[in-house]
Amino acid sequence: MTMAQLIVVVAALPLLSAVLIQLFSTRLSRGAARLSVTAVSITFALAVAVLVAAVVRGASGQVALAGSWGIFLFDPLSSLMAAVIAGISLIVHVYSVRYMAEEPGYARFFVLLDAMTSTLLVMVAAGDLITLLIAWHLVGILLYFLLGHDTRSHSAHRYAFWTLITYRFGDLPLLLAAGLLYHAYGTWSLTEIFARMGAGPALHSVFGLPLAGLVAGLVAIAAFARSAQFLLHTWLPYTMAGPTPVSALMHAGIVNAGGFLINRFAPVFVHTVSVLPWVFVVGLVTALIGSTLMLTQNDIKKSLGYSTMGQMGFMIMECGVGAFSLAIFHLISHGVFKGTLFLGAGGVINEARKDDGIPKDELYTFVVERRSARLRRPWILMAAITLAVPVTILMIAHSLVAQNYFQEQGAIVLLFFGWVTGAQLIFATYRMRTGNLWRLVTLSIFSFTVVVVGYTLISHAFDLFLYPDEAFRQQIYAAANIGALRFDVLMALVAAAIVAGWVLTYYSEEYGNGRGSRRGRLWLTFYALVSREFHLTDLFSRMARALLMTSRRLNVWLRWV
Amino acid sequence: MSTATYWLAGVFLPLFPLSMAFNGLFNRVRNAPLRATLLLAWPQVGLGLGLAAGVPVPHWYVSLALFTSALYAFRALGVREVGQWVGYLATSAWALLWVALFNGTDLQMVRLYAFGFSLPLAMLAVLGSVLQQRFGAAYTGLYGGLAQMLPRLAGVLVGVVLAIIAAPLFPAFFAMLATVVAATPRMPLAAVAVGGIWLLWSWAGVRLLQGLIVGPADDSRVVDISLTSTLAYTAVLVLLFFSGLYVGGGLL
Repeated sequence: MTMAQLIVVVAALPLLSAVLIQLFSTRLSRGAARLSVTAVSITFALAVAVLVAAVVRGASGQVALAGSWGIFLFDPLSSLMAAVIAGISLIVHVYSVRYMAEEPGYARFFVLLDAMTSTLLVMVAAGDLITLLIAWHLVGILLYFLLGHDTRSHSAHRYAFWTLITYRFGDLPLLLAAGLLYHAYGTWSLTEIFARMGAGPALHSVFGLPLAGLVAGLVAIAAFARSAQFLLHTWLPYTMAGPTPVSALMHAGIVNAGGFLINRFAPVFVHTVSVLPWVFVVGLVTALIGSTLMLTQNDIKKSLGYSTMGQMGFMIMECGVGAFSLAIFHLISHGVFKGTLFLGAGGVINEARKDDGIPKDELYTFVVERRSARLRRPWILMAAITLAVPVTILMIAHSLVAQNYFQEQGAIVLLFFGWVTGAQLIFATYRMRTGNLWRLVTLSIFSFTVVVVGYTLISHAFDLFLYPDEAFRQQIYAAANIGALRFDVLMALVAAAIVAGWVLTYYSEEYGNGRGSRRGRLWLTFYALVSREFHLTDLFSRMARALLMTSRRLNVWLRWV
Repeated sequence: MSTATYWLAGVFLPLFPLSMAFNGLFNRVRNAPLRATLLLAWPQVGLGLGLAAGVPVPHWYVSLALFTSALYAFRALGVREVGQWVGYLATSAWALLWVALFNGTDLQMVRLYAFGFSLPLAMLAVLGSVLQQRFGAAYTGLYGGLAQMLPRLAGVLVGVVLAIIAAPLFPAFFAMLATVVAATPRMPLAAVAVGGIWLLWSWAGVRLLQGLIVGPADDSRVVDISLTSTLAYTAVLVLLFFSGLYVGGGLL
């Protein structure tokens, strides 16, 4: 059996389990969970075997089930994603065995969970446009039923509907992209389409627009809807009425599909000129707004929802700077930690009801009570360390993996973000009330170094695995580039904004927030706006109600015929 | 083909305002098997007229067809009576057959598209009468909680509605996919419109399901459909599923 055939088995096993449970649910009773977990365990083992084969042999291939579609790909991306999905699904399955035991529709839940696992596996291994479209569409439908598992709850179904309709909105651009590609190249096979596009990227255009750019733009919009980018994000924080294992699966796996899709269409994105910079902008806005909204939530699950939005923004941003493989690493690491947080959320809430468990230490007084050390010396030395140390660590870490790394704009953007994060960490550490400042600073720098070096080495390994062709990697970065002058001006503006933010924070804390003043009122207005989630949810709800009202009026005017 | 025949075809492959003829008739017919027969036969008559013609479809017919389809899909959002919902969705779906005909799709395939659209609608018309027998009305938001009260009927309803709203692997999915793909290069706006209509179907379908199956059970005296009926409905759905895969999807 070839690896491509094995990947078909990997996708088919959970589906088989779903069918068996559905057929024999009465007889199986609680055994439904055992069957489901066994099937997904084997799926995971096989997916790991496929991944190991991909890493060791570095080969790729495909298998067509029949006709012109139903093609399954065995390549680094599909094997890696299959292992990740099977792994996360297995954890969610095991967790659900006891978590869902008291819920009605126990067997139905495992049927849906298995069907979802299978669909996700088909999606990542899809080697043609029709299979990809089918899986992409099915994910939305299955997620609707998983989120609305409690058929008594109207609110769960209401928010599940939000998810479905956003996902269906995202299906449309992918459908149009498929139509354009099929007409240009006369095949559904992704491998053939990419090969033909590579041979003559400028051969096709649609209404004067280059085909590659148009298709990449449509694919990016489909990815935005799936990964909750700004304006298409409102469903994400409101889907908490679904069962916790579904939230975990959604936040750890399904929502990351946008990053996967952009990676799958990387051979299209390399032939574009201005699509990736726009992807970057959308990701950046989403990251900023998601993180801001997260800070204002007092519900742990909603806060996690907005945190996911921020992380998805960052993942899309990485794609936007050309760091495609880094986005895959990001989605995997985010999936693991967010899945853990969701599965642990119930336990945390339960324990917090008994005891808040917050140690009244230096970190607590600094973060929660906002009491920081005011006059600390030597501040000039510390300012130099704050600015110089992160950039030095970043430079050394990245020069270990690639000498020409700093020639790429995308890499500079990522380094810049890394520098800002590192500087903020050291700055915050410096302002903490502590008896032994140097010990704390050293520990901060050490942990920062570990994270940076780890991140750099692992992301470089991902780069080599997913995109072994050096020239192709350069092409992706080149597609993300903008004019040198524009880039320099933008970087200078962003740096100035960040420094201004730091100065503002420093002066606000030093001289008070100016309560009662105009600035204070502005701040309160901004806070109210953020706490109401920029009124976007209200706006969308009103729009939906207005449409329904118009529909009813139309029916009355047209006498119901 | 004469202008009169075109107008007649516009009644059977409904174009607004001729579409009112079908919906008026469908509202008057209350017998479920008759309704089902009407749903299965109506578009085939229209396609039969088209076959006799062998003349290309005028461009403005496509615009009117898209308008009709979008109008009825949008109107289905505000409908609560299951029978009327079926009529609107049927009108919306059949109007799209004009787009397929304009794209030069083989007439035999368009007939299959029509059948793929009609069969689940006919099933829902029958299920509507089942609801009427049990509750006195097939009306969304009136009772709800079918998933709790009548799990078999609720399960079949979900499957049938998914088939109607062109969920993957059902024949309607491939019909919609083929229509959008064929329209994309020649009429990109029409392709976007078909995609938008598909989106409206999903919305309408979810509203129908939420109004029927979601909610707490409030009347335990109502009897669920029999196992035999469930198996019969399921068999038809499975048949639809595989016909979608093998005929619509061209896997044969």
